[in-house]
Amino acid sequence: MAQRRGLTRRAVLGALGAAGVAAAAGVTLAPRAAAARELGRHEPVEAALTRLFGGRAMKDGSGLIELGLPQIAENGASVPVSVEVDAPMTPQRYVRHIYIVADRNRIPVVTRATLTPDSGRAYMAASIRLGETGDVRAIVEQSDGTLLQVRRAVRVTVGGCGG
Amino acid sequence: MSDIGKVRLRLPSRIAAGDVVRARCLVIHPMERVERDRAGRMVDRKYRYIDRVTVTYLGRTVASFDTTQSVSENPVLAFTFTATGPGPLAVTFHDTHGATYEGRAEVRLG
Repeated sequence: MAQRRGLTRRAVLGALGAAGVAAAAGVTLAPRAAAARELGRHEPVEAALTRLFGGRAMKDGSGLIELGLPQIAENGASVPVSVEVDAPMTPQRYVRHIYIVADRNRIPVVTRATLTPDSGRAYMAASIRLGETGDVRAIVEQSDGTLLQVRRAVRVTVGGCGG
Repeated sequence: MSDIGKVRLRLPSRIAAGDVVRARCLVIHPMERVERDRAGRMVDRKYRYIDRVTVTYLGRTVASFDTTQSVSENPVLAFTFTATGPGPLAVTFHDTHGATYEGRAEVRLG
């Protein structure tokens, strides 16, 4: 009897707690959190690329994508990166996603920006962690599914990942 | 850590109608990194980091970001939007512990 009451109480409190968290954070907490964990896994970069893009071909984007990165990052804990794509942003054709991937990080996928025609320009910038010297890539996914990629090596003096 | 969730959103001082505007946003947040024990195993707990950022302008989502623990502590993000009229720009950050932080700026044309 005592055990049964304990279980009931726990179930009720658990449900109340979950409802409270959901109410505090807005409605769609659970699927959102699950999607983000999916993005940032501990895996080799090849596994991350296969997971995100399957075997889809990636074109060389060096004529269109400007990837702004320092050549030497003295502090890997915060490295500025910017991406600008010379591509139209119209409802018919636009840049839907810009991915930043740090090949040598234990969690290689850094961020995925989702843009819209209202963005006006395919541009984003972020401050990222780099665990060690290695390539950083920008991968651009256009609304028609075309994938473009550029990469650049960054020398990291003091790594900033741990992870 | 008491500043956690403080957001600074910066816009250019002059914006004309039709401009593609660059905005920069900073949020104070630890973006917790994965910890390892002495044997090198990952400490399994629910790390606190921002995993989702949305940008709305005049009530419409113009851009969003999914972010991982490879984004720096106190992250800076920048993005663009087309200034079609005066009104609010809002950037909302969600972290894995269910907290939400918002930065707002008023777009004025002139």
